[in-house]
Amino acid sequence: MIKKFLEQIILSHPRDNVATAKSPIGSGIFITFSKRKKIEIREEIPFGHKISLRRIPKGGAVIKYGERIGRAIRSIEPGELVHIHNVVGERGKGRSRKKGRG
Amino acid sequence: MNFLGYKRPDGKVGVRNHVVILPSVACSNEVCNSIARKVKDTISIPHQHGCAQLAFDAEQTARTLIGVGKNPNVAAVLVVGLGCELVNSSMIASKIAESGKPVKNLIIQEVGGSPKTVKAGVQIAKEMVSFAARLRKERADIDSLILGVECGGSDACSGLSANPALGIVSDILVKEGGTVILSETTESIGAEHILARRAINKKVKEKILEIVRRTEMRALNLGLDIGKANPAPGNYEGGITTLEEKSLGCVMKGGTSKVMEVLEYAEPPAQKGLVLMDTPGHDAESMTGLIAGGTQIIAFTTGRGNPLGSPIAPVIKIASNSHLYSKMKDNMDINAGEIITGNKTVQEIGEKIFREVLRVANGRLTKSEIWGHREFAINRIGPSF
Repeated sequence: MIKKFLEQIILSHPRDNVATAKSPIGSGIFITFSKRKKIEIREEIPFGHKISLRRIPKGGAVIKYGERIGRAIRSIEPGELVHIHNVVGERGKGRSRKKGRG
Repeated sequence: MNFLGYKRPDGKVGVRNHVVILPSVACSNEVCNSIARKVKDTISIPHQHGCAQLAFDAEQTARTLIGVGKNPNVAAVLVVGLGCELVNSSMIASKIAESGKPVKNLIIQEVGGSPKTVKAGVQIAKEMVSFAARLRKERADIDSLILGVECGGSDACSGLSANPALGIVSDILVKEGGTVILSETTESIGAEHILARRAINKKVKEKILEIVRRTEMRALNLGLDIGKANPAPGNYEGGITTLEEKSLGCVMKGGTSKVMEVLEYAEPPAQKGLVLMDTPGHDAESMTGLIAGGTQIIAFTTGRGNPLGSPIAPVIKIASNSHLYSKMKDNMDINAGEIITGNKTVQEIGEKIFREVLRVANGRLTKSEIWGHREFAINRIGPSF
């Protein structure tokens, strides 16, 4: 597995559209990742939680470890916290959804 | 690579030398506890099963109890039954005795009640302890080790630090000819394609997909969402968002080797190398399945802080982040959080855990042993009747 340890975040795979906060990150802070790409953190990110690196459209796949971990239930902007308020898992649900993985 | 262990008559090698007082049914629990309280260096393993179970549960309970008795960390076993139970205690005792170790059986209704059974049990237990105390450790190859890899109370760091580091340990042990059991099928949901890709053959690949499918279908058929039970509230608080995310982190503990075999709950492996066991994500149940399968040592990663141990196998606790390690140092053996802070690499922590596995195999006590954590829970499939 390819991992990139940046100053404030960990990117577990180049394909990921989310990264993990190495420590709490305050709103308004700018984070640089891969070739001068820069995003502004839009809200408080607790330790270990995920931030969006790109715009993820409603229904779009959330990618961590280079794999699909769930689906955005609303559009997510870069720098937003990515968690249970805006992402839903697709496996093990009471409604049959067998083709869950990406 | 070698370690010093207890060679058993069946050729297996223990890293501990327990005398176990084993109830075949919940009705014998307190008699077993009384015997263990009266005889130093014995362990009773109370549980809630053994009777009023449907056939598949009775069989699974029996398989688990036999496997625990046969575990190479166990020197001798006293099985205590009630007499009218479904899981027959003399059958359990004779199956364990196939391993060649000393096994005795007492039946409360035949001996004539609790005090008389305790008295007879104390005598037997004392003889077993003196037998076990005379056994000497011998040099054994590391290929006789079965390592169980487990995670509990995960956080979003688990899949970035402790679990990939444990994956390094799995790869080293497999390369050295040993065995690694990866369990917790619930926490393979969403990551099963990664394991299936590494299956040694088509049969194993299909079995991997089948155990994951049947676990998922159990929830689907009930119309329920596994996500309400697993991930747990603490997983969500720790930054894990979905079951898929948890699973993708979870399966890293197994490393990158080929998957040789898929075992039922509490089934001993027939193959060496990396094998899977179908257990639930419930850690005490999963670890009980692992020890019944012959696991001598369990390596257990945690991000939220999990103190669980096992009555039979030393459990090595690995913290995924440094906050947890400093907060619960009394329960943690190794800090993988240095990977998150950037002070150590996954490889370095993996090698550190491997050295710890060897030290524990040679007798070093883990924190869970020091604190007397002996959690034991037999998985059940259906209700009691």
